[in-house]
Parts: sequence; C-alpha cells; structure tokens
Amino acid sequence: MNSGFDRRPGKHADLAVVAILCALSGGCTLLTPVQPWQKGTLARPEMTFGGDSLDLKNSEHVYQNREAASGGSGVGGGGCGCN
Amino acid sequence: MSNSSCLRLDETSTTVVPVTPPGLGATILAAALILPGIAPVCAETAPERAAIGFKYLDYKDSQPDLDRVTARAPSINVVLPLGDAWSIEAGGMVQDVSGASPRYHTAVSGASKFSDVRKAGNLGVTRYFPSGTLTLGASSSRERDYESQSLSLQGSLSSDDRNTTWTWGIAGADDTINPSNRRVSNEKKKTSDVLLGVTQVLGTRDIGQLNVTYARGQGYFSDPYKALDNRPRARGQTAVLARWNHHFTSTEGTGRLSYRYYSDTNKIRAHTLSAEYVQPLPYGFTVMPLLRLHSQSAAYFYVNPVYDPVYGSPFPPGYTFGGNGYITQDQRQSAFGAHSYGAKLSKQVGRDLTLDIKVENYQQRGSWKLFGDGSPGLQPFYARIVQIGASYLW
Repeated sequence: MNSGFDRRPGKHADLAVVAILCALSGGCTLLTPVQPWQKGTLARPEMTFGGDSLDLKNSEHVYQNREAASGGSGVGGGGCGCN
Repeated sequence: MSNSSCLRLDETSTTVVPVTPPGLGATILAAALILPGIAPVCAETAPERAAIGFKYLDYKDSQPDLDRVTARAPSINVVLPLGDAWSIEAGGMVQDVSGASPRYHTAVSGASKFSDVRKAGNLGVTRYFPSGTLTLGASSSRERDYESQSLSLQGSLSSDDRNTTWTWGIAGADDTINPSNRRVSNEKKKTSDVLLGVTQVLGTRDIGQLNVTYARGQGYFSDPYKALDNRPRARGQTAVLARWNHHFTSTEGTGRLSYRYYSDTNKIRAHTLSAEYVQPLPYGFTVMPLLRLHSQSAAYFYVNPVYDPVYGSPFPPGYTFGGNGYITQDQRQSAFGAHSYGAKLSKQVGRDLTLDIKVENYQQRGSWKLFGDGSPGLQPFYARIVQIGASYLW
C-alpha cells in the first residue's frame, strides 16, 4: 500500500507514441498513393474502423467494466457505477 | 445513402462507376462514418438517408460457486441527415442490472446483492466540410447511485487525395456518486480526455489506423461497495490503439486486427489483441468469428487474498485500522489474462433491413496473464454475452 499520485503514466510510452505517429505520417509519403477509382474495396463497410456503433458501445461497456483498461477508440461517453 | 465520393473503375471495362457499398453494411457505414476515430477513405458528406439501429443485450457473469451479475439492455440509435452538410445522431439505452458482486476478491460469503436501472442517452451534431468533419456531442447516464454527464468535440481532416486522415477529439465528463450504503455522499469525479489519430490507406486492400488517447481524472475512484477499497483520487490513463484491416480477394472476406497498449498511474499495464474475420455468404448472410486476448498487470495497491491471522478476512496482514493507505481487493484491479471468442451472424432482408445476432464467451484467469505471473488465489471469471439487433434505412 503506497500513497501519492505523482506522475503521468508511461512517459516513455508517450514519447514512443509520438514517434510512431510521426513515423506513420512521414512514412505515408513512401506509399504509392491509391487513386479514387481504386478505392472500391476500401469503401466496403467492413473495411472501416467503425462498424456497428451500438455493437461497439455494448462491447466496450462490457470490457471496460470487467477489466482495468479502456480507451483508444474515441473520447466522451458517460461513466457508470457498474459492479 | 452515399457518404462517399469514391469512384470505382470497373475491372472488366473502362467505365467509372460510383461506389455503392454492399447493401448488408449500408446502415453500419452510415453510423460508422460519424463515429469518433473513424476516418473515411473518400470525401465525407452527410448521409442521404436516415438510419435507425436497435440492439438487445443479454449479459450474465459468474464464477464457479456464484452467479454474479445479470444485465439486460435494449438500446437504440438514430442518424438523421440535415441538408447536405449536417447530420444529427441520437441514442439511448436502458440497462436493467442485478445480481451479486464479491465484496473482496472472489469471496462468496457476504457478496453484496444489488439491483439497479441505468438510463443513458447521447446526442451528436456533425458538420461536414470539403476536407473534414466537426462533431459536437453530449451524453448522460443516470442510475440510482451514479450520475454522469459529458461533452465532446471531435474533428477530422483529410489529405487532398483522401489517403490520410487525421482525427482529434477532446471531452470532459462530470460524475456524481451517491452509493446506497451511504459510505460516501455526493462524491465527484471529473475526467478530461484527448484523442489524436491518423488513418492511412496502405494499398487498395489495406488500411491502417493509429490512435492515442489520454484521460486524466480527479475525484472519487474507489468502489464504495468493496470492503476495504481506497484508491488514489487522481488517475491518468494512456491508450495506444493500432488497427489494420485487410481484404482477401480470394475469399471476398475481410480480416480486422487491432492491438491496444494501456498504461495508467495505478501502474496497470495492459495488452489487448483482437481479431475478426468478416465473411460474406450466399443469400445475404455474413458471418464474423471473433477472438480477443487481454492481459493486465495489477494496480500497485492491489493486495492478494492473504488475510491477517488475527482479524481474518478481508483484512490483509498488518492492516492498519483508520489508516488512509491505498488498497483494493477488486478482481478487476488484479493481474490476469482474459480470453474471449464468439461470432456474429448478419442477414440482410431486402435492401434496407439488416438483422444480426452475436454470441460471445468471455473468461478471466490469473494464470492466463502474459509476461509474468497473475494474481494468485482468485476464482476464474466467466461471462456469456448474447446480443440481437436490427437496423433499417429509410
């Protein structure tokens, strides 16, 4: 049992994240651009990162109330006192 | 609906045709495109048709010698276009939850029984620009012992070729806690969130996304229904989420992989890997098997189920009565691994109606923790999740 809240989590992780974001943004210039007429497959619903919004909400609610971790996919949304 | 200014060159001719998303997911796409962190690969415009979705969730969890929590939750979501440049989304749910929850670790004796109804709603307005979107959202959740309100602002900006989209978001939440056992009264918790993300088209059949979220909260984080729970009144959480979708031409199926690294000021570190495979089938059916693996370390103030020889459970050895040291005996704050597997089956009925059912089986065990030992002495945890749904475009 310790006490005190002293620092942000994973300072090194944060730096790594920034580096990854920069690398990904910069790395994009190395990719061959995909033209609009080549995006038929990419426009399929299952190729998006959303999907069924109610399904996602329910799944995230279950996981975040049975595990300690949450976040990554969005911001906002009400909390709860779920047991 | 359109939501897309993509054009597709027909592979057997030189005709350029507008891309029409396959009917099965039309409703899904309509809702997905206004979600945070969801970046389009094409110019984004307001939906042309309204969409309504409904889900009914049936959840039940247990441990070997105790049926724990049962929850039943109908929910609804509506997306309405407002002219060419605006849309509005509204949603709501009612969650009827009851059962028993251990007061410390996985102890059956003295498990607290409860029954409550949670009502939650959300509202969002999106403005569509030539190269991006801006969404203002609000949500509210209310149950007998817990109230929460939040506001959010999210935006996206796409490159000229629509191959790269940057997303950002900020949000604030204000929670009030009044537990029925009156252990505390009118406690507060305030949380601020930020999101930064980039979505990149990696090829004609691949797309990737990297998101980072950071949340910082101040206030009451303890669980008033746990025997000795006392947690820090501030918490910072960082999550890094990487996702990759790949379409297989040979099967017309799509693989969806995601990995999340999580870290917080309670010294919990977690890894979550999930994989889904979406396979269209004849007669309008689509099946999606899913697998999810999770592993987390324990909070630094979590104590194992070892009790004081004099005072017995739930008091850990050397426990100081009246002290203010941090402590939790909550299974969710322990070190464990979790496996989850399931499947979702969808069926398109006509052009505008989609029905779906999803079944998932979830388990937690201390021995399943990756990269080290899990917390000892806890019972396995099981959850069975069944969800049915319908969505309709008009």
